[in-house]
Amino acid sequence: MKIVVAIKQVPERDAQVRVAADGKWIDESDLSYTINEPDAYALEEALQLKEKSGAGEVVVVCAGPERVQSTLREALAKGADRAIHIEADDLGSLDTLGVAQLLADAVKAESPDLILTGLQSDDLGLGQTGVVLAELLDIPHATIIMHVEATSAGLKVKRELEDGWFQYVEMPLPALLTIQSGGNKLRYATLMGIKKARTKELKTVAAPAQVRAAAVTLERVYLPEKQKKTEMLTGSPTEVAAKIVDKLKFEARVI
Amino acid sequence: MVAGTLVAAAGTYQIAGLLLDREHRGLNVSATLAEPAHFSSLESGLLVLCLVGSATLFFRRFGPILRNILRSKKDADFSLSPVGRRVWEFFSEVLCQSKVIRQRPLPGLAHAFVFWGFLAFALVSLNHLANGVGLGFLAPESIVGRFYFLFAAAWALLVAVSIAGLFIRRFFVRPIWLGEKLSYESGWIAFLIFLLMVSYLGAFFVSDAGMAVKALWWTHTLALVVFLPLIPHTKHLHLVISPVTVFLKRDGFSKIPPLAGDEDFGLVAGKDVTQLISLQAYSCVECGRCTEHCPAANTGKVLNPKEIVLGVRSYLNEFGPSSETPLLAESRGAAPTDAHQRLLSMEAAFECTTCGSCEYQCPVGIQHVPIIVGLRRGATNTGAWEDDYGTKLFLALEKHGNALGLGAMERDKFIQKQAFPIFDGTQEYCLWLGCMGGYDPKGREIIADFARVMQYLGTTFGVLKKEKCTGDPARRLGNDLVFQTLAESGLKAFETAKVQKIVAICPHCVRTIANDWREFGVAPEIEHHSEFMARHKDRLPKQGGESIVYHDPCYLGRYQDVYEEPRAVVALAGSLVEAPRSHERSFCCGAGGGLAFLGEEQGERVSHVRAKELAGTGAEVVGTACPFCNTMFRDALTAVSEAPPQLLDIAQLTARAIPASQKEAGGVQ
Repeated sequence: MKIVVAIKQVPERDAQVRVAADGKWIDESDLSYTINEPDAYALEEALQLKEKSGAGEVVVVCAGPERVQSTLREALAKGADRAIHIEADDLGSLDTLGVAQLLADAVKAESPDLILTGLQSDDLGLGQTGVVLAELLDIPHATIIMHVEATSAGLKVKRELEDGWFQYVEMPLPALLTIQSGGNKLRYATLMGIKKARTKELKTVAAPAQVRAAAVTLERVYLPEKQKKTEMLTGSPTEVAAKIVDKLKFEARVI
Repeated sequence: MVAGTLVAAAGTYQIAGLLLDREHRGLNVSATLAEPAHFSSLESGLLVLCLVGSATLFFRRFGPILRNILRSKKDADFSLSPVGRRVWEFFSEVLCQSKVIRQRPLPGLAHAFVFWGFLAFALVSLNHLANGVGLGFLAPESIVGRFYFLFAAAWALLVAVSIAGLFIRRFFVRPIWLGEKLSYESGWIAFLIFLLMVSYLGAFFVSDAGMAVKALWWTHTLALVVFLPLIPHTKHLHLVISPVTVFLKRDGFSKIPPLAGDEDFGLVAGKDVTQLISLQAYSCVECGRCTEHCPAANTGKVLNPKEIVLGVRSYLNEFGPSSETPLLAESRGAAPTDAHQRLLSMEAAFECTTCGSCEYQCPVGIQHVPIIVGLRRGATNTGAWEDDYGTKLFLALEKHGNALGLGAMERDKFIQKQAFPIFDGTQEYCLWLGCMGGYDPKGREIIADFARVMQYLGTTFGVLKKEKCTGDPARRLGNDLVFQTLAESGLKAFETAKVQKIVAICPHCVRTIANDWREFGVAPEIEHHSEFMARHKDRLPKQGGESIVYHDPCYLGRYQDVYEEPRAVVALAGSLVEAPRSHERSFCCGAGGGLAFLGEEQGERVSHVRAKELAGTGAEVVGTACPFCNTMFRDALTAVSEAPPQLLDIAQLTARAIPASQKEAGGVQ
């Protein structure tokens, strides 16, 4: 089985993110980057599927500036066979459709049996890239996957629903799955892996010149504003209680 | 009464008579050694035949051993210098038997007598065999001969008594360290040595002519002829090679050699076993000193350092030094297919706390820690070691740069709360927090107290803005990738901040920065807070007589030879009590070698054994000098004692006496 894993490089979890001077993106200087966590699980799932079947290939693909190559190398060190780097310096100016288009262009030539991505990114958290990518490639997809099993007909996957419920779906190949964190145990990078990764192929492809204007544009990036509003309710206890119920029902909408 | 006197008188008379009659009866008690007067050519021929046979049998076994050693991979980092130290250690440990005696005085002394006796006997044996072919060079009647043979006789007596004592120890006292199975070959060897001595001494009691002297001569010769081939076939091989092993052992305690080239991942298979490791494996004399002091072997774990060494030896015998067969078996199966698999298992390799007591004790120069860490490297660097806790630790180090897996923000907050100045080059010291000092609640208390001590002394210090783990747990668990990444990033951080002097509360950090980082660059000078405080002890407050038992951390004592400084600090804070096992014999807390971060131990917890021992001294306080020991004992002391002693680091012991005005207000967290 040929598996493509689409990964994203995101700022480290504990990085102190600052807004860039123009207010359109974050200040990237001084930031350290790492693999998006759900993508790490997608890669792990791909590696395990390959190991279980004993054959196949795992190709990692990532769009972004040159720095994403370190994350690709790490993926190669963990066991991926090849890597594709889509050069894109201004990822911030693209919308989901734009990013998915970049990925689709690179992935199409590979014609994989299965595409895995994390269910969402740690930085923007839109959770759409995988789904849009599947649409662009015209293949079926399933989201929030906890477990994947290869069957003779295709795949049997376990989806996470809410409230501790799970759904089992059987689907044909080729397909795209977005993987949930925590389904597997991640592996650590080894010295042997890093050394082997040096000889593995890391292909760089240029992003096509922008054809479509972004349908969604980023207006302003800002840190969440903390606000506290206190309103004093007056009246007899009965009146106050009635007002509270009213507010909880219609303003806070929690009851 | 009268009858008794008569009997005694008669006895005296008889003995006197015997002595007077001695020549008549052929019993010749003289100060001269008797030698057979003449050897027929048949006898000489027989002797030559025996010697050739004996030498052949010797080399038939010794040859392959030597080949295995020589054909093992070269030690890339080996260097003969410093020769002075090597010569000194050879003199002290081999010729003077210092280690043999110091760590086990009675059997050690017995062994030393046998060894020195052997040295004295070299000339005697040579002359003895030369006589058989008419080439004797040391005449018993000559002045030199008279003196030398008597000198050797004195040694013969000591050897005979000593070897008999050692025989009794092995076969009747039976210390468990010598192994559960009785070694009958040792019995044979002891018997042969005894026979050699008796047959030599006997020659002072017979005359030159006659059958008795010939019989003694041949007995002595046959014992020699049988003894020689037994050497390479048994652990008595150490007679031949351990002096070389002691001379050539790797410089530095528990030194982990750098990996050589792109194909070196540690000890994966026979092809990775280096010449020094081979030499050491064949040198093992199976005395079990390593086992006796091993925290794992003493608490019911699979690991036994002696078996690791014997496992490597048995692997080399079976597969040779260029084999691709893995050294480590997954776990110790009930019926291992290969002999070495019974001894070398992944399970055992990862139970080592790297406390180094095995290596410290070994009288034949075996360096166990590099071998065990080498096996771990082979497993971890190739991804063969799968352990949930280990993986979690490595991922935490990869991702967060600290072993506790907490966000770097947590350290920032702590620094802010404590108002620690950031190191900017104007302060004298860079205070290294370490993972424990930066993230662990108890470690933070220690760091905060030590900072107060520094402030009290008026020493300026600053902390690094960002700090990552030294890589100690990754290093000892064999993850060279993580270790190298962290070491390089640490060296860069010090360089960028222009740090000149570092002080740290954690012996693991000190050791790793000072020694292990050398592979990648030059770190600034670093010292342990015990050294810092001991240097300033005259200016630190002296306290009352509370009894404090001090626990030597492995990485401070055995690893860095720092024993007296922390004691000086403890002595300021109260009256120092010594634990039953202390100094270089201190028993591990169980945390080292990355084990603090792995799962539950098999058998008894190492920390409990030590905590019991410390609590058993009756001291009011347990004084530690390592945040890892401290954290291990925190739980262990409560578990083993109903009214546990207080547990304080030496920094806390000192800081508690600092006047309140000098202390900063506010909690530590």
